[in-house]
Amino acid sequence: MSSASLPLWRQRLFGTPATGIVTVVLAFVLAWVAIPIIRWALIDANWVGTTRADCTAGGACWVFIRARFGQFMYGLYPVDQRWRVDLTGIIFLVSVLGIVFAPQRLRLRAGLAALVVLPPLGIWLLAGGFGLRPVETREWGGLMLTLFISVYSSLIAIPLGIIFALGRQSQLRVIRLISILFIEFWRGVPIIAVIFLASLLLPLILPGGIGIDRLARAVIGLGFVIAAYMAEAVRGGLQALPSGQREAATALGLNYWKATGLIVLPQALRISLPAMTNEFIALVKNTTLVLVVSILDLLGIAQASLADPAWVGMNMEAYAFSGAIYWLICFALSRWSRHLESRRRL
Amino acid sequence: MAKALALLNDKRVRDWIYQIAVVALLVGLTIFFVRNASENMVKAGIASGFDFLWRASGIDVPFVLTNYTRSDTIMGLFWVGVANTMLVTVIAMVLATLLGFVVGIARLSSHWLLSTLAGAYIEFVRNIPLLFFVLFWYFGVIASLPAPRDSVKLFGIAFLNNRGLTIPLPDAPSNFRWALGAILLSWFAQWLVARWARRRKDRTGQDAPMLAIGLVLVVLVPALAIAWASLATRWDVPVLRGFNYRGGFVVIPEFVALLAALVTYTAGFIAEIVRGGIQAVPHGQIEAASALGLRPGRILRLVTIPQALRVMIPPLTNQYLNVLKNSSFGAAIAYPDVVSLFMGSALNNTGQAIEIIAMTLAVYLVIGLAVSAFMNWYNARIALVTR
Repeated sequence: MSSASLPLWRQRLFGTPATGIVTVVLAFVLAWVAIPIIRWALIDANWVGTTRADCTAGGACWVFIRARFGQFMYGLYPVDQRWRVDLTGIIFLVSVLGIVFAPQRLRLRAGLAALVVLPPLGIWLLAGGFGLRPVETREWGGLMLTLFISVYSSLIAIPLGIIFALGRQSQLRVIRLISILFIEFWRGVPIIAVIFLASLLLPLILPGGIGIDRLARAVIGLGFVIAAYMAEAVRGGLQALPSGQREAATALGLNYWKATGLIVLPQALRISLPAMTNEFIALVKNTTLVLVVSILDLLGIAQASLADPAWVGMNMEAYAFSGAIYWLICFALSRWSRHLESRRRL
Repeated sequence: MAKALALLNDKRVRDWIYQIAVVALLVGLTIFFVRNASENMVKAGIASGFDFLWRASGIDVPFVLTNYTRSDTIMGLFWVGVANTMLVTVIAMVLATLLGFVVGIARLSSHWLLSTLAGAYIEFVRNIPLLFFVLFWYFGVIASLPAPRDSVKLFGIAFLNNRGLTIPLPDAPSNFRWALGAILLSWFAQWLVARWARRRKDRTGQDAPMLAIGLVLVVLVPALAIAWASLATRWDVPVLRGFNYRGGFVVIPEFVALLAALVTYTAGFIAEIVRGGIQAVPHGQIEAASALGLRPGRILRLVTIPQALRVMIPPLTNQYLNVLKNSSFGAAIAYPDVVSLFMGSALNNTGQAIEIIAMTLAVYLVIGLAVSAFMNWYNARIALVTR
């Protein structure tokens, strides 16, 4: 019997003796790694209960995650105020969906309006004041904080990134030099050092008496670093755009800003959207670094929860749960970025 | 008046006005920040300047490659941090490259299970924060290793336990210096022979037995040199005394955890670069090479890899720079690198934020520039030569 007549799976896995050996070895390794993990996470796991004593089977104690779920999501945000976090999330989500599905001619205006209204609204809902009970940023934490830092840092990073990408392409030599220095400086230093730097230097260089919130410092620091990476992503789009586009716009009598805003940027940003999404993924992953200035995002809450004497030895459960959430967010975003890229190629 | 307007409408004049305005704005901001900083520092009673570097540090470091002790200066502490950063960076770069190439090539394998597993590994590590891996290896894996008494024994000379990895240390390093000299000499000889063989082939078309010569000069001589050096040296092998091992050299758990995290994480990114690079070589190239009668091994070495490398070098450079910057994640588990020792401990003791931050950032910028300069040089060397 020739190997071509075998069913596809046998041909793929056992087509030749060498493939067969590789298959068997890999299957053993897979079984050796995967079976204990599956037994621990699913078969021998404990799902119901309220305390550590309920975890009697040998596997994972998911009871711990259930008991701590609120903290993993909201940190120490007051329980009776958590609806504000949910509301903020829903408003942001609905607005983004609304903008994406809005008719083409309204999209730009709706987007700009959202950009003006949403960020202050979000801060008001979360931090309180003006009629709402104030909640200090010290009490924020968990997944909510991860998302907050990611979104607000990119609100700094994307505009700055576009400005410096344009600056780097500029004909004006001084502006080009300043842009290159800015981009290469922030790309050359570790993010962890920038977060330290922001938390130490920002209070120092502002006039005495102006206090600046700990969380705001971290958001600003991250925003500046990601801006440099965003600038490189945007530059990719600017360089991919045929130079005839700007030349044609200039020939039609548009000045630099009109040509940039109406012709160059809309096309260049569409090209660089996948790259910018990848930078956003990197940002989501790097928000974890705020741990070093004792701000507890999702990973920080997971780490802090290990110190609870009532739940000793829950390391694996805490890591598995927080890791899975990061993975889901980043995986979904990376698939989206890949989808955008393949759509552009067609 | 009209003349002034005409001047304003001159593009060159206007460009200069814009640029001068931007520079003036930046200078103004800088002056504003510097004045605030100096006022705030006077208020807080912090002196400025680099005098503090020559004060005694008084900081104990658990992992020292130089001959630093706590009575040394803060400058000494700085160099300890730089050395530790370099150590973990270089080892992680090498190991991540090896693992990344293996996974990347496995991803392209025609074996379905192998390429699926490699793909799963890549998707797994790329979508999880590096800090997660650092904490996981440190608090999840290494903390759950057995106590020294029940160490995992590696060939009876190295011991892995929750206090780190204890390895034997040579009593006198002089034999190893000789061995290193011999290895470098033999590699240099290999380079000379290869050059001679290439020139002779260009001239006469004759092949030299480069494989045999290469095996001797690149593999055999170094192996013999290392074997001689290890046998001729007395080793300080760690021995269990009471609750812990005595003797040898202790690789601290922070180093092991940080290295493991950096290697497993970066390998996922390098694997994608390798895959992309190899896939970027047009299939026609390989078909043409086999039509010319080249065997698969030579096709890989002479056609695929040189062209794939050309695509891979720039993103690989980025990954190497990332490893350098990411080595600072060690600060989260108190690995004594330059960020954690200098920006952490030394800054806490002296309070000289600006000087210390500037020096720390300078370390990364200088090393980063050196790495990119080297990779640019290498890239230019292998670049396609066109007219």
